[in-house]
Amino acid sequence: MASKETVPSPAQGVGPIYRPDGEKPTATVSKEVSYENVHVLAQTPQLIALLTMIRDKRTARADFIFYSNRIIRLLVEEGLNHLPVVEQSVTTPVGRAYLGVKFEGKICGVSIMRAGEAMEQGLRDCCRSVRIGKILIQRDEETCMPKLFYDKLPADIADRWVLLLDPMFATGGSATLAVEVLKERGVPEHRILFLNLIASPSGVAEFAERFPKLRVVTSFIDQGLDDKKYIIPGLGDFGDRYYTL
Amino acid sequence: MESTSPFYSLVPEVKYSPPWQDLSIIGIAGSSGSGKTSVAMEIVKSLNLPWVVILVMDSFYKTLTPEEHSKAHANEYDFDCPESIDFDLLVDTLKDLKQGKKAHIPVYSFADHQRQTQTTTLYSPRVLILEGILALHDPRILNLLDVKIFVEADMDVCLGRRVLRDVRERGRDIEGIIKQWFTFVKPSYTRFVEPQRQISDIIIPRGIENITAIDMVVKHIQRKLQDKSEKHTEALRKLGLLAAKVELPANVHVMPSTPQFVGMNTVLQDPATEHVDFVFYFDRLASILIEKALDMTTYVQTTVETPQGNKYMGLNPKGAVSAVAILRGGSCLETALKRTIPDCITGRLLIQTDENSCEPELHYLKLPPQLEEHSMVMLLDPQMASGGAALMAVRVLIDHGVQEDKIVFVTCAAGETGIKRLVAVFPKISVIVGRIESDGEPRWMEKRYFGC
Repeated sequence: MASKETVPSPAQGVGPIYRPDGEKPTATVSKEVSYENVHVLAQTPQLIALLTMIRDKRTARADFIFYSNRIIRLLVEEGLNHLPVVEQSVTTPVGRAYLGVKFEGKICGVSIMRAGEAMEQGLRDCCRSVRIGKILIQRDEETCMPKLFYDKLPADIADRWVLLLDPMFATGGSATLAVEVLKERGVPEHRILFLNLIASPSGVAEFAERFPKLRVVTSFIDQGLDDKKYIIPGLGDFGDRYYTL
Repeated sequence: MESTSPFYSLVPEVKYSPPWQDLSIIGIAGSSGSGKTSVAMEIVKSLNLPWVVILVMDSFYKTLTPEEHSKAHANEYDFDCPESIDFDLLVDTLKDLKQGKKAHIPVYSFADHQRQTQTTTLYSPRVLILEGILALHDPRILNLLDVKIFVEADMDVCLGRRVLRDVRERGRDIEGIIKQWFTFVKPSYTRFVEPQRQISDIIIPRGIENITAIDMVVKHIQRKLQDKSEKHTEALRKLGLLAAKVELPANVHVMPSTPQFVGMNTVLQDPATEHVDFVFYFDRLASILIEKALDMTTYVQTTVETPQGNKYMGLNPKGAVSAVAILRGGSCLETALKRTIPDCITGRLLIQTDENSCEPELHYLKLPPQLEEHSMVMLLDPQMASGGAALMAVRVLIDHGVQEDKIVFVTCAAGETGIKRLVAVFPKISVIVGRIESDGEPRWMEKRYFGC
């Protein structure tokens, strides 16, 4: 496969800025995409090391879960930054004034079963009592197209900001259908944040163009897809590695 | 990403001396049974300070040869002459302690008349009391002493006490004790012990009963400590003035004011926030700081294979990462630490700031073994005001062999002057700061976190 998107991902030195370049180890970092609504986490050595851990096939399930959760928390933290806030000033316990902000608007999580459910723990670590809806999408055996099998969403979802959770984003069929479902339930596109661990460059580009107001927060845009539409290099089947292997 | 020139070229001569540098050492000499130990204990009690240590010269007895060993059992070995003491080792030990370094005190076994293989580590005492019949014998030691005390008692009293003690506590027979007394102890007293009287600063007759004399000594030491404390505080202040002129260097990372981060800070600083919410948001914010700190450790390139057989060129952290919590506040950050590194090796040190003098004091220290081999040591403190405790903590780590550039100081909030002071003295450490607050903000976060 010599398609455009299997061009190797860039390799660069990663490390604290005050360290001279020669002292930074080199690693493959995320591809850059030029869509304003796609946000890739800062490619810090720490993040790369976490991704290395979960990509490695020798990583046992307990470690896979632990390190995935750490990345997911970073994703959620970055995702939440896209939610609106309003100014709020407080007088601190020592009597000083602090001009801060208050979180504005209700949120909910929606996980695309089953791999997306693995991201719920990370979401709850950051947003304690968050409501979480679920969407089950499976490939239709006859048409080979993704098909909605089941959904259970908060009744007032149209009034909420939605954090849509799916760790792997290859062709984006399921995520696209999930967004359509959310929009049908009255969630405006601009109030959807898609949180994702690893995306394919073509998938994310198509998705960003199709839903220009939705925001994607991902930790890594990989090299491309293989002929079975798996992400390269990817990390295997996220759901299997998290739940069963 | 461009590299910036190292910061330390800007401020070349900034130094910090912890208060335990230039340690006060008190020497107490006197005949066996004169009451040296009781006087030393009384001084410790009256000073009522943390970390006043009594160093007994018996620990520095030389190891006996088998021949000497059998002599000792027959009460024919002279333990009272200067030759029986390893003065060279004692002088080196005292010199190290005087300079604020860590010292290893030998452990002497009276049963085997041998130095044990293990040693006791002594570090950063406030005041050291050196006690022994010949504490004022060696001129090299005299130079290191701040106060030279000679405890005097009637020789009959001394003999009486010695007989009682040796029979009761050391299971010896009276004949042996008397033999040793007249063969060695008494002659040695005349030759070596008594002359020390001349060079002492204070002679305390009647030992422990002499409350007036002990009180004088205690007052004298307190005055000296007060002077030292004022100098330390003044030095910290000057460091602040000096450091205030420079910009925050690149190795100080202030967390960006993202909406979430500011929002969490707002929740934390709002007195109306419920305790459970405070703990939740504190842990969440602290987790971000710890994740950020882990960028500072060493990573090496590695290539891994994914389950589908693809290769990925990534990074592996190199070496162990450990953390040292500056108590009590530092333990607030441990939940976040465990969330990130569940089995993180953790040391603790308790530094309390004296409310009157505002001077930080080191009360307790328990560091993990091989700390100096770790690739990164995080120092955890939720809030840094003047930076006094931080300076002390970094200094403690360096004194225990940790390289300066391996230390990452993690704090939720800090005053700018405090940070500048810290990095002016230790330019190679990294600092992760959640939020810059005004200088001299009192510590309050740990009170909120622990609810008391």
